Order: sequence, then structure tokens, then C-alpha cells
Amino acid sequence: MTAAQNNVEPFGPLTPAMFHVLLALAGDDLHGYAILKEVELRTGGKVRLSTGTLYGIIKRLLNDGLIAELRSRPVESQDDERRRYYRLTPQGRQVATAEAERMDEILSIARSRNLLKKTRMA
Amino acid sequence: MAAADSKATRMYRALLRLLPFDFRSDYGPEMEAVFHEQRKEAGRRNGTAGILRVWWETIVGIFRTAPGEHLAMFRQDAGFALRMMRKSPGFTLAAILTLGLGIGANSAIFSVVNAVLLKPLPYEHGDRLVVLQHRMGALNQAFSALDTSDYRTQSRALDGLVEYHNMNFILLGRSEPERVETGVVSWNYFEVFGIKPLFGRAFRPEDEQPGAPAVLMLSYEYWIKSFGGDPTVVNKTFTMNDKIHTVIGVLPPVPQYPNENDVYMPTTACPFRSSPSTVANRQARMVQVFGRMKPGMSVSQAQADLSGVAANLQKAYPKDYPEGNSYSVKTTALEEALTHNARPTMLVLLAAAGFVLLIACANVANLNLSRMVRRERELAVRAALGAGRMRMFRQLLTESFLLAVIGGGLGLLFSWGALDLLVSFASRFTPRAREIHMDAWVLGFTFLVAVLTSVLSGTVPALAARETVVGTLKEGGAQSTIGRGKHRMRSLLIVGQVAVSFLLLIGAGLMLRSFVKLQHVDPGFQPENVLTMDIALDFVKYNTNDKQRAFFETLLDKVQMQGGVKSAAASMMIPFTSGMTMTGDFQIEGQAPEPGQAMPKADFRIVSPSYFEALHIPILNGRGFMQTDRPGNPDVAVLNRSAALHLWGGKDPVGTRFSADGGKAWIQVVGVVGDIKQYGLDKDVVDEIYVPLAQNPMSQASLVIKTAVEPMSIARGVIELLHGVDPNQPAARVRSLEQVRAESVAAPRLTTNLLGLFALLALAIAATGIGGVMALAVGQRRHEIGVRMAIGARPAEILRMILGQGLALALIGVALGLFGALWLTRLLQQLLFEVTPTDPLTYVGVAVVLGLAALVACYVPARRASRVDPIIALRVE
Repeated sequence: MTAAQNNVEPFGPLTPAMFHVLLALAGDDLHGYAILKEVELRTGGKVRLSTGTLYGIIKRLLNDGLIAELRSRPVESQDDERRRYYRLTPQGRQVATAEAERMDEILSIARSRNLLKKTRMA
Repeated sequence: MAAADSKATRMYRALLRLLPFDFRSDYGPEMEAVFHEQRKEAGRRNGTAGILRVWWETIVGIFRTAPGEHLAMFRQDAGFALRMMRKSPGFTLAAILTLGLGIGANSAIFSVVNAVLLKPLPYEHGDRLVVLQHRMGALNQAFSALDTSDYRTQSRALDGLVEYHNMNFILLGRSEPERVETGVVSWNYFEVFGIKPLFGRAFRPEDEQPGAPAVLMLSYEYWIKSFGGDPTVVNKTFTMNDKIHTVIGVLPPVPQYPNENDVYMPTTACPFRSSPSTVANRQARMVQVFGRMKPGMSVSQAQADLSGVAANLQKAYPKDYPEGNSYSVKTTALEEALTHNARPTMLVLLAAAGFVLLIACANVANLNLSRMVRRERELAVRAALGAGRMRMFRQLLTESFLLAVIGGGLGLLFSWGALDLLVSFASRFTPRAREIHMDAWVLGFTFLVAVLTSVLSGTVPALAARETVVGTLKEGGAQSTIGRGKHRMRSLLIVGQVAVSFLLLIGAGLMLRSFVKLQHVDPGFQPENVLTMDIALDFVKYNTNDKQRAFFETLLDKVQMQGGVKSAAASMMIPFTSGMTMTGDFQIEGQAPEPGQAMPKADFRIVSPSYFEALHIPILNGRGFMQTDRPGNPDVAVLNRSAALHLWGGKDPVGTRFSADGGKAWIQVVGVVGDIKQYGLDKDVVDEIYVPLAQNPMSQASLVIKTAVEPMSIARGVIELLHGVDPNQPAARVRSLEQVRAESVAAPRLTTNLLGLFALLALAIAATGIGGVMALAVGQRRHEIGVRMAIGARPAEILRMILGQGLALALIGVALGLFGALWLTRLLQQLLFEVTPTDPLTYVGVAVVLGLAALVACYVPARRASRVDPIIALRVE
């Protein structure tokens, strides 16, 4: 936990949109459009990223080494060649985990103050 | 559908242009693809509404992302630029210093131009104020009280008209009696100007009633200087001349025109202005008049209206406005009157500063280009690593932007440091000088100039960089030959620098020649070893001719006895000044004026007998004044040469008589003296008639004392003698005549100095520029030079070749500068004295100076070239 936190610090606070992108990539390697869809789907349409916002985030995550671009394409023949695929790096996974844990702590406080129902905990 | 697609793609690409180039080239195609899919799916699901929503979100997203991306890019570029600057401290220092000087010169001169020429007058009604001038032919004349009231009642264009004149009072009750410059004004003077007192109140109508208690307002500067800015001064009383005056208010710091006064009083405070004879006499002209136009009136409308009033007056009082005198009234905007002396000089200096900056930019561009040669490999490697052209362009511009901003900061420091000097310089031209400050406008201007500078000095090398990256890596050798294009660019910059330097040097050279000519003008007298001081008698105490005459005669007798004094005289005014001028008509006996014909006119001067001796003014004919020229004996006068020539038609005037009062009294001409430059070295000699002090006593005079010693060394002694005659009588403006002379040419001297400074700066920058370029060229041509020497060229030939090439650049520059100078120096005409803007001597001199500077600058690299060892030079290959 502390190690993860140490790693997290240089990247500063994650914006909710950035966290969503990390979450989307936590499952699978995805291309840009797929990230958009995934985020929209997971949030029930509450979070919709535009291309400008998405690629601003992708650029930062790439620079910070939290994601990486894949050299090989999964299904080469049928793909739009302009597509690029992204994968969460181990460091990105750490940062995402740290963020999730931080949120979890906050949630437990909220629960202890009876701000949330415990039943939603899976 | 396909058409709609391509239209949407085009629109999306246009939108992407808001993002930095790098970002676009990294992610643009991918974003386009994503957007395409996004839009298609939205259309499938929600139709047009869906598509519109995607568009909206996309536009908002890009507008949110762009600023941050640009900033991040700038940070990255700036960080890199700073590292590069640290890596080559020599270049960085030279560039910052050059730009600092260039930008500093501009922000300094702009601070003056801004305060003096651009800002509205700091009076509430500044844009509606006009100055009225009475003209009799070419002469300006004051207004009489009756004139003033007629213009006031008859004008329809003005909604306020006030009068002003200046006089001296003596303030008692401080350690020494103090002479106080006093503006005597209409009660509503400040109201018409729109000036509200800082403390206390302004004048009211009742203050101007005859017999009202005496009141005064202090000018801001006098309040600070004499009362340390103490607000409790209001309601205090002071004895001035014979009366107790109460301070009723303090004025804010505003420009004072036409004089800088210490205090202001209503017209009733002046015994001359309020005497019944002055009030009733239309020809007792002693005041100046200011008007405030009604809102919406233009100066030309006011002029038309006032000309109408002048015509009415001329019709009603033909005796007071004689036909032959071509009487008129001239209306000038106050703003124009306050600044027209300054305008030509300030604009010339602003242009000069602009030229200096141009040279500085060219120089930094050149330095950049030279450095580019050394950075070729770095740039080429970066290009090979995928840095786009735009990216490098941007990087180089960021570097020059940083240099310009740091240079601009330095420039601000320079101009801030020069502010006091500038204020005292500008105050020679305009009463608005004290408004000069480093304000937000100056800061904004400086920033703008810095940005402009970075574009000017950064674009050229950035453009050249494009050419660089193509070839360099291919060559790969240790030695890289610079592109021909880039060398041509550098030569062009040098030619431009030389041309502009030539222009500036010509400007400065012309000013210098003009100033030297001014210094060599023979004033017609000897100003060396003459002490002067002004004495304004208490006009209440010395209220008769006898008392005034007695005072000056007693004082002069005592001063004459003082050690170190050769001769002591008094005069109405000292040379090189234009204080009190008495211009009058007269008639020569036996030459009755024809009706409607203008009478002869001359400036009358009252002097004591030793005046001509004290100043060494030669007596050409007849005699000067004697102690016997007193009341009771015949009235006498002495003419200057011009008056004898022009007004007496060259006939011997000695023994003739003239009358200045229509034939009641006749004055005999007893002598003719040489002409002197009364109003300044650059002014024409006027027709003058001297009359003796004893027969024409006055209450204000200047002492003119020829000394055998340094004149200022006896000043204290003379003042003690003055206090011996009357302890309550102050002396003012105690100066040597040489100081007076220096002050009279201070404005052209300072302008010459400033222009000279700019020109030298330009010369230094241009010369180092030439030297630098030649040094670089020599460095890069070592191989070629080595070959030349190997096949038999002698060192002297190499030296000549390099010198010749440098000189050729300078000569092309001079030729171009010549055209520019012939075209531009016409603008200097107004500032020049007896020198034409095409003065051949100046042109030749400057060309020689510039050529020599270029030679010297090229000599070092040329000598290095001539010492190239062919073996070593060729081995490097």
C-alpha cells in the first residue's frame, strides 16, 4: 500500500475521467473508440468522453507511463489502420489500484457515517 | 452520405487545428477515426439529435483540452530553451544585452511620447481648452481687460473665457525674503480648466471684487517644495509685499502653462491690472486669454466665431486696432500649445529608438543564425527523431521569445533608471514632462515590443533551420558547410544593419553639425565672466519712478565698488532669454506716417549706462549712455545696428529724434551699438532701441555684472550688498551668463546627445555584427583558404580578400542607407540649425566612420584567415 502510494505521488491526483480510462483498460487492451464505449457502458451513459478529452488523457497517461501503446494489433486484417491499441502498464495498474483503495477508504468512512447502504457492497 | 462524411471530416480537421501541431500529428488521424465511428453510432441510435450532441461534446472537449496542451508545449519548449541558453552563455548574454538596449531605448522614449503626446491633458475639460492669441501682423500681442471682456460677451463658441498674467511677489516672514512667481488669474480660471483643488477651495467671484481680502492658492510643486506637503497650510496667512494673504487652497499636480508658478491670485491682487487706467484702456494689453469651447465645438468653429468678434472690434474701435496692423485672433488647442515644441523631437527620437531595435533584432537574428550552424547537428538529430518542422519552428521561436522577454525586462530596468533624466530632458520642451511615468501603458508597450522583437529576430533563423535539417546528416563529416542561402541571409542582415546604422549616424551627425554651428554663432557680445541675477522690486514699496531709480543706482554703485567687479549694469532682460519684451510703434521726426501705413516698430530695452561695457557690445557710432542721461536732461536712445539699418534706412541716425507717444515727447538718438542675439543663438537679430534706466525706471530688472574673477564666486557678496540696500529684497535666478547660454541650447544639446547615443549604439552593434559574421565565415572557409594558400596565395592577399568582402557588405549597406537618409532626414529639418538635411560633409564623414568601423571589425578575422596554416587546414579534411 505504501509502496503503491509512493509510486502514485509523482502523477498527482487522477481526474475522474482519467480513472475511468484506467478502469476501462484494466480489463482488456482497447483502442480509442473502444475505450469511449467501455466508459460509457460502465457508467450507464453518465460519463461520455469526447475525442479531445480522451486523447488529452491518453497523451498524459502515455507520458506518465501508466499506459503503453501496443505494437501488435490483435486482428490485423479487419482493422482500421489508424486505430492504435493501448494497454495498462504494471505501474498504471498500481496507480489505478491505489486510487481504488483510496476511494474504498472514503467509502467505508461514508458507510460508517450511514451515508451509504452496506448492502451494495458485493 | 459520403459527401456528408467528408464535410464532417473537414469540419473536424478544422477543429483539430486548435490543438498544438505535435498533438495533432500524434493523434489527429486516430481521433478522426474515433470521431467518425462515434458520430456514425450516434446517428444510428438517436438520429440528428445524437449527431448534434456528439458535435457539441466534441467542440467543448477540444476547447477544454487545447489551452492546457499549448501551455504544456510551451513549458516544454521553454525548459529546453533555457537549457540551450545556459549551454551557450556568451550568445545568451550578447543577445539579452543587445535586445535589452534596443527595447529599453524604445520603452524609455515611449514613456515620454505616451505622457506628452498621447495621453489627454490631465484637466477635466482638456480637449475643450483653447489658447487665444492676439496678432498684429506677425507679432503676438497680449489682451487688454476690455478686449477680454468683449471676447467673453461676444463669443458664441466658448462657454468660458479666462485671463492670465504672471508677476513676482515678495514673500516675507521666512529666513530670507523669497521671490514668488505668481499667476494672476480670473476667479473662474481653475473651474474653466476643470482643476479641483487638492485641499481647501478654489477662487470664488467675491475674491475678485475690488477690496476683497487677499487670498492665494499654492501650486502643488511649491507646496511640496516650501511647505513639505503640509495640508494645514490652508488658512495660514503670509505677508506678500504689503498685504496679508490667506492660503485658501492647494492645486493638484497639473502642467502649468505658460509659466510654472508658485502661487495664484485673483486679478484684483495685481495693482497694475486692477488700476482704473488699465481697466479702461483698450491698449493696455497685458494678459493672456484661455477659452473653453462649448461641448461638441471644434477648434476651427471656435476660430471662425472668434475671428468674427475680432472683425466687430476692429470696426467698433478703429483707433485701437489700426488697419495697417492686420489685426487678427488665432485659436489654438491648449493641448497643441503645450506639446508642439516637443512633438518633432520626440517623434524623431522614437523613430531613432525604433531603428536601434531593428538593428538589435537583426543582430540577434544573426547571432542565432551563427549559432544555428553549431546546432545543425542537434537540429538534424531532432528532425531525424521525428520532430516536425512546425515543432522546430516553434521551439526556435520560443527561444527567441524568452530572450526577448528577458531582454525586455532588462530594457525596462534601463528605462526606469533613465526616467529622471528623461523627465528633465522633456521638461525643456513641454510643461507636461512631470506626467512621465512607467505606467501600465509603458509596460504593455514594452511587452508588445518584446513579442514583436522575438518574431523579428526568431523567424529568420527558424526559417533557415528548415533548410538546415535537410542536408546536415547526409554530409555527416566533422565539418559542415553552411548553406549558401543562409550565408546570403546573414549578409543581407548585415547590409540592413549597416544601412540603418548609416541612417542613424547621419541623423546624429546632422544634429551634431547643427549644434556645433549653434555653438559657434557670434552672439555679438562676450558672455564670459558675467554674473546675472533677477531683481523684482516690491512694487508697493517702490511705487514711484524716483524710488525705483534710486534703488538701482544705489545698488549698482555699491556693486561697482565690490572687489572683482569690472562693471555693473542693470537691464530689463538678459541675453538668451525672452522674458519681458516691450515691442512698440514710434514715429521718426520728419517722417510722418501715411494713414493706414504701419508705423516703424522695435523692441525697447531699458538698460543702465554700463550695460554695453559689461557685455562688450561695441559702440559703432555716437555714444552709449552716460550718468547725465537723467530726467531733466533730454531723453535719449541708442539703436542697434539692425534698427539703424532697417528703420532709419541706413542714414546716420545719430542726432535724429523719434517719438513713441504720438509726438508728445521726443527722444534723441545718441548712438548705434552692435547687434546681439537677444532671444537665443538660433534666433534672428531684431530691431532694438535701448533707452536709459534713469529716464525710464522700472520695478523689475536683471543685474549684469562683468567680473574679473569666476562670476559665481562673488554672487554671495552681491546678494549681501542687495540686502544692505533693502533687507526685504530677494534676488532670483542667480546665474552666470555662460550658464544662461548653456541652458538656452540645452534642448538641442540633449537631443543631439540622445540621438548620438542611439547612433553609437547602432554603430557598435552593427560593427560587432560584421566582425562576427566575417569571423564565422573565416572559420567555415578554413579549408578553402588552406587550398588557396597551398596553391600559392600569399597571406596579404588573403587578408585583402577577407577585408574586401567585409567592406563590400558595409558599402552596400552604406549605399542603401544613403537613399534612406536622403528620404528620411527631411523629417529632421525642423530641428536643424543652418545645416541642410543633405549636408555633404556629414554624409561623407559618416560614410568614412562607418567604413573604418567595418574595417576594424573585419580586421581580426581577416588576420586570422591570413595566418591559416594550409597543412593543418587541409589535414582536418
